[in-house]
Amino acid sequence: MTPAVVSLRPGRAPARRMASLAAAGRLLRLELKRNVVPYVLPLLAAVFYFDTFRTADGYPPVWTVRASVIGDHILFEFCAFAGGMAAWAGSRERRRKALDLVASTPRAVWARLSVTLAGTLGWLLLAFLAGVAAIYIPTALQATWGGPPLWPVFAGAAGVIVVTIIGFACGVFFPGRFTAPLVAIGLLVLYQAGFREALGVTASPGTAALLSPASAVPSVDAGVYHHVAPDVPITQVMFMGGIAVALLGVLALAAALRQRAPARGRIALRGWPARGDNWLLRTVAVVLVAAGVAASWTAYSLAGTAKLTAAGWEIPALHDAARDRPVPFVPDCRSAPGGFQVCVHPAFSGYLGDVAAALDPVAAEIAGLPGAPVRAEQVASVGTWPHGYGPSHTAGNPPVLEYSGEEVGDLFGVFWGIPAGAGPDWRAGFQQGLLDPFLTEPPHSAAAARTGPTPLGAAQQAVEDAVMVMAAAGSPPPLRIGQHGHSGGPSQAQITAAASRFASLPGSARHAWLAAHLAALRAGTITAAQIP
Amino acid sequence: MNVDIRGVTRRFGRNLAVAGVDLETGPGVFGLLGPNGAGKTTLLRMMATVITPSAGTLRLLGRDPGSYGPRREIRCRLGYLPQNIGYYPGFTVAEFVEYFALLKEMPPARIPAAVTAAVERVDLGGKARAKLRTLSGGMLRRAGIAQAIVNDPELLLLDEPTAGLDPEQRVAFRALLRGLGEQATVVVSTHLVEDVGTACSEVALMDAGKIVFHGTPAELTARGEGTRAAGDAPLERGYGAVLAEARS
Repeated sequence: MTPAVVSLRPGRAPARRMASLAAAGRLLRLELKRNVVPYVLPLLAAVFYFDTFRTADGYPPVWTVRASVIGDHILFEFCAFAGGMAAWAGSRERRRKALDLVASTPRAVWARLSVTLAGTLGWLLLAFLAGVAAIYIPTALQATWGGPPLWPVFAGAAGVIVVTIIGFACGVFFPGRFTAPLVAIGLLVLYQAGFREALGVTASPGTAALLSPASAVPSVDAGVYHHVAPDVPITQVMFMGGIAVALLGVLALAAALRQRAPARGRIALRGWPARGDNWLLRTVAVVLVAAGVAASWTAYSLAGTAKLTAAGWEIPALHDAARDRPVPFVPDCRSAPGGFQVCVHPAFSGYLGDVAAALDPVAAEIAGLPGAPVRAEQVASVGTWPHGYGPSHTAGNPPVLEYSGEEVGDLFGVFWGIPAGAGPDWRAGFQQGLLDPFLTEPPHSAAAARTGPTPLGAAQQAVEDAVMVMAAAGSPPPLRIGQHGHSGGPSQAQITAAASRFASLPGSARHAWLAAHLAALRAGTITAAQIP
Repeated sequence: MNVDIRGVTRRFGRNLAVAGVDLETGPGVFGLLGPNGAGKTTLLRMMATVITPSAGTLRLLGRDPGSYGPRREIRCRLGYLPQNIGYYPGFTVAEFVEYFALLKEMPPARIPAAVTAAVERVDLGGKARAKLRTLSGGMLRRAGIAQAIVNDPELLLLDEPTAGLDPEQRVAFRALLRGLGEQATVVVSTHLVEDVGTACSEVALMDAGKIVFHGTPAELTARGEGTRAAGDAPLERGYGAVLAEARS
């Protein structure tokens, strides 16, 4: 009889390698075809839709903001599914009582399990990339500026890989029918712990939580005015990749150690980790463990040096100073018939019409008065104000209203999951952002520009309310409790009455009165009762 | 000799499963008989290189399975059907056999034809695309036999291969065994003496970890003649007589 096996003669090495590769390919095809992951994909897709997709859909179409769901949501869902499924696949031989059968075959156990792991990982990465595509394709259709950030995808893929390998290793070392659910729950808890740490990460006591792929939701214009440095994603990929590589080494080393530990010929060959691997495997395993630990430790050390800047976290050793320069852009602008110009960052071009519709009528009411803004332009949410993003303000000569992307986002579109128009404050708040500094600050006041709004007095409030009503802003603006009406001052009814009186005046009369009394109004020397 | 076992002992903790077995056999069908707990499965697992002996020497197909290279060569030429066959329920019959053909490192180009032939030989051609979870116990057993023979092994180890097979399939399987035994060494562990009588050219009877009889089925039958050993068939009476003698 001629045995149907590969010849082991030394002269046939290339042919053997080709045959081995072809066999590995066919094994992988079988593993992909009969893998357990496709069975849970519908459930994963449902969770993805209700959590990740809907969340991303509620964010403005700014690439960096939409991409933030990869770390915050997709990975959250994948860590449980990927870990559990990988543990299920890793424990398959023991669970199905197939150890004797597979242990009697010549294919090395590490090679056999590598193919099982590759099949599982292949499906999970495919699902992950499909999820990323489901986020990026609609964003590409809606976004008016920029391009898809790839580092969150790399970090996310590294996260999927590491949880898959963790789950698989748990399945191999602790096989059982409860391993998969326990691994899924454990990874979920681990992710939540990392997420919680990442939300509160500060420079003190440490910044190791940056290694968690989860993060706080970025400002709406993250990556718009400044490049988002890839420093943190690089350390995350390095950290998680290191863990994955080290775990692969541990899996391979376990086989080698079992092979070496007892006296020759006196150990159990059964199952994983079975003997049958040569010195090369041991060497490779040790190198993998060492390289993985070194990479993870390096990443941990790098994360400890992170500094928070206006553009986000930077890691000095990895930081490219060339990326600190602001991102050049040409704003999208529209001028009203009265000459008031509204500009938005091109990433927010889709909102230009709505911003102009909100500001133009109010600007027309005060046009030509001292200190009245001649232009409104969007500025960065982060780094413009001392304490993060803040309210809009007027600055410069001629005066320019500066507002942030946060305010644009607050006004329009489905934002943070809340549909536009759900809150009556939004448009009014945006218009108040223009009127508040106009009514309270002396013209060209650079000092006041950065200190935030001054609380309105009763007369100022009445005038603002009247202007907003006449600007057809819709319903009268809501009362801003605490900003006026100090103890002993006029009641809200008196303010409302004053606003109604002022609003009933012809536009030219209002304009004339404001021109004559604006300085006194700003100084707070006019009472609500004195308003005509 | 394809199987050369000398003084092989295997312990599991304090339990002595195999106690100093000596066995030699060449091509042909070799029956390993014995009551439950006699050590047949343990001996077969050692021959399948799944576990190693606690003491003694084992040479299979002229090679020492204690070393990596020879063990790999043995495994390439080995077919093994464990007593409890583990299977992956999502695989079809053909995929299951193909999976083990690949694990046995058969040349990929030869695998499709070998899988088809193996599945046909166990009469599962019509179920080649059926998932294992849909098969009956007997069909699963046949699928297990198909994976064991897919690489045309030089050493075929079958642990209770006819368990769960219907009478028609058992008859067909014995014919298959005889065919395989013409070129390879087939070791069949069973407690069904009729399998041994019709298919085996040589038989060993194990009890309490030791071989208490080694000879031909005719010689085993002869041991029962003139005794009061229980059994419906002559071979069964020989089996009973040898066991009674060993235990006395």
